[in-house]
Amino acid sequence: METLQFLMEGFAVALTPTNLLLALCGAFLGTLIGALPGLGPANGVAILIPLAFTLGLPPESAMILLTSVYAGAMYGGRISSILLNIPGDEPAMMTCLDGYPMAKNGKAAEALAVSAIASFIGGLIGTIGLILLAPILARFALTFGPAEYFALFVLAFATLGGITGKNPMKTVVAATLGIMISTVGIDISTGTQRYTFGVLELYEGIDFILAIVGLFAISELLLFIEERAGKGRALIQVGKLKLSMKDIYSILPTTFRGGILGFVAGVLPGAGASLGSFIAYTLEKKALGKKGRFGEGDMRGVAAPEAGNNGASSGALVPMLTLGVPGSGTTAVLLAMLISLNITPGPLMFTQNADIVWGVIAALLIGNLLLLVLNIPMIGVFVKVLSVPPMYLLPMVTMIAFVGIYSISHSTFDLYFMVAFGVAGYILRKLEMPLVPIILGMLLGPEMEKNLGHAMIISDGNWGILWGTPLAVGLWLVAGLGLILPYLIGPILRHRMRNAIKEDAVSD
Amino acid sequence: MTSLGDRILGLALFVLAVTYGWVAQQWPPPFGGHEAVGPETFPTILAVILAGSSLYLMFKPDPDANWPVGRTAGELVAAMVILVLYAFVLERLGFVIATTLAVGSLCWRMGAKPKMAFLIGLISAVSVFLLFNNLLELSLPGGLLEFD
Repeated sequence: METLQFLMEGFAVALTPTNLLLALCGAFLGTLIGALPGLGPANGVAILIPLAFTLGLPPESAMILLTSVYAGAMYGGRISSILLNIPGDEPAMMTCLDGYPMAKNGKAAEALAVSAIASFIGGLIGTIGLILLAPILARFALTFGPAEYFALFVLAFATLGGITGKNPMKTVVAATLGIMISTVGIDISTGTQRYTFGVLELYEGIDFILAIVGLFAISELLLFIEERAGKGRALIQVGKLKLSMKDIYSILPTTFRGGILGFVAGVLPGAGASLGSFIAYTLEKKALGKKGRFGEGDMRGVAAPEAGNNGASSGALVPMLTLGVPGSGTTAVLLAMLISLNITPGPLMFTQNADIVWGVIAALLIGNLLLLVLNIPMIGVFVKVLSVPPMYLLPMVTMIAFVGIYSISHSTFDLYFMVAFGVAGYILRKLEMPLVPIILGMLLGPEMEKNLGHAMIISDGNWGILWGTPLAVGLWLVAGLGLILPYLIGPILRHRMRNAIKEDAVSD
Repeated sequence: MTSLGDRILGLALFVLAVTYGWVAQQWPPPFGGHEAVGPETFPTILAVILAGSSLYLMFKPDPDANWPVGRTAGELVAAMVILVLYAFVLERLGFVIATTLAVGSLCWRMGAKPKMAFLIGLISAVSVFLLFNNLLELSLPGGLLEFD
């Protein structure tokens, strides 16, 4: 029971007063971020990175803060799904289906409570899965050579769009652009200046943190201005909570199934939290058949997708922590934090930085508990936050982005760069170009090139080494599938997801 | 439905790919002789991939998004100008003045009443300044308001 011992050490890290306080702040901030209009989880974690960085927190504390924000944002996302019928982020989409009808029937408080409990159990299942699976995967990943890593990175990009992604070619373009940005600066192995054009500020390369903040936060501001959605929306009243133990028992089986399905979807490349909550919801609907009143405000219809999406968000940490390959936007942003803390993610992290890995995992467990405790009594506060009009909120978020980036380097040059990334992000989003592959490209580009170089040195310049072992071939195959499958079954799946939502809109 | 957007994007990316690839071929070979993977190898691969996928975008584009026109486009450009100006005046005028102006004008352009907008700007600027400079001990530029 080596794992248990490590976990105990993790708790020792996470339970120090500072870290516990940080986890609490993170969970609270995260819920706010998730609930606030126009601030998704990835976005929220992104603007907090420069702050965590400049506060000079030790690595494990910084990671604990950000993972709690991540977990909190998943909780917060459901609030706007239930009260406004607007998903805070994509995975929260399925929660709208039964959550909003429940709120309209005057059961908003119950819907929020059910979703909090389901999120808790889903998150718990996901974290337990993470504890069991991650060390095994990390040990297995130690057998990877540079060629396998190179193939793995390609796989990560290929599956990033997900099976439900619209145009895989745009993922390829976005990833390539990101990797291209990462090649700017002085080449580590040879010292050649690449694409610096004599500009001193470019010698060290382009900092991915300012790219992330620009692409996410600034482009969000521009999108809101375009949609003129500054005024905010009217809210549904939240009444007094009337939830009996019997109600809670009745959602438990659904929640367990949803959490497990979500975790599996989170771990698998290319599935992610949206598919996790979708599968959890549809299977539950099928399993219960006529017994459920799905789409009209069935409690289990809220519990299933919420458990699914929180299970998936813990599941998504498995590839991020063990392989250094994130499966979603938010985990990509967490990876950015790790890299800027000078920690090389991947299997070695489990031996070299065991305190951080296990501290983060323990923080997830504690964070989930804190979130449940925070969410039931404090739901009123979060609901109020939801009514903050974006016209005040987004300019302030922009200010925090400026403060964060400025305090890292004290250079206005970086601020111009961030604004440029924001404008580019806006244009790319309008063109339906996914932004996450760009970020991931910037993060993984240097590692990819390094592994390519190592593989070539081992093989003495023979390119065949890249697909020389069965494992590498397998990884290439999955990567290929990741690009082809969206063309084959993507339209069917997307059609089904849309139908599920339309059907319910009619019965609404 | 036209799909001009993707075609233009594809063309721009194609030009980028060719330039990027061409620049990579111009670097002098690194000191210490040539190896299998030089500084130009990886960029060359990327250029080829980007060129290929941008051609695909040109020939199989997605339908266009609704691009803002008229006043909305003006508002967007105004917001971008505000952001650039914010970066420009941050060190010159100092954090508090620059932020009041930037946050205030952004709130105002997003639909808040002018007085309220600049009040919010001032309050947020002062509170963030105090929080950062006094509590967290990270220095933001004082600018014109710096006395010492």
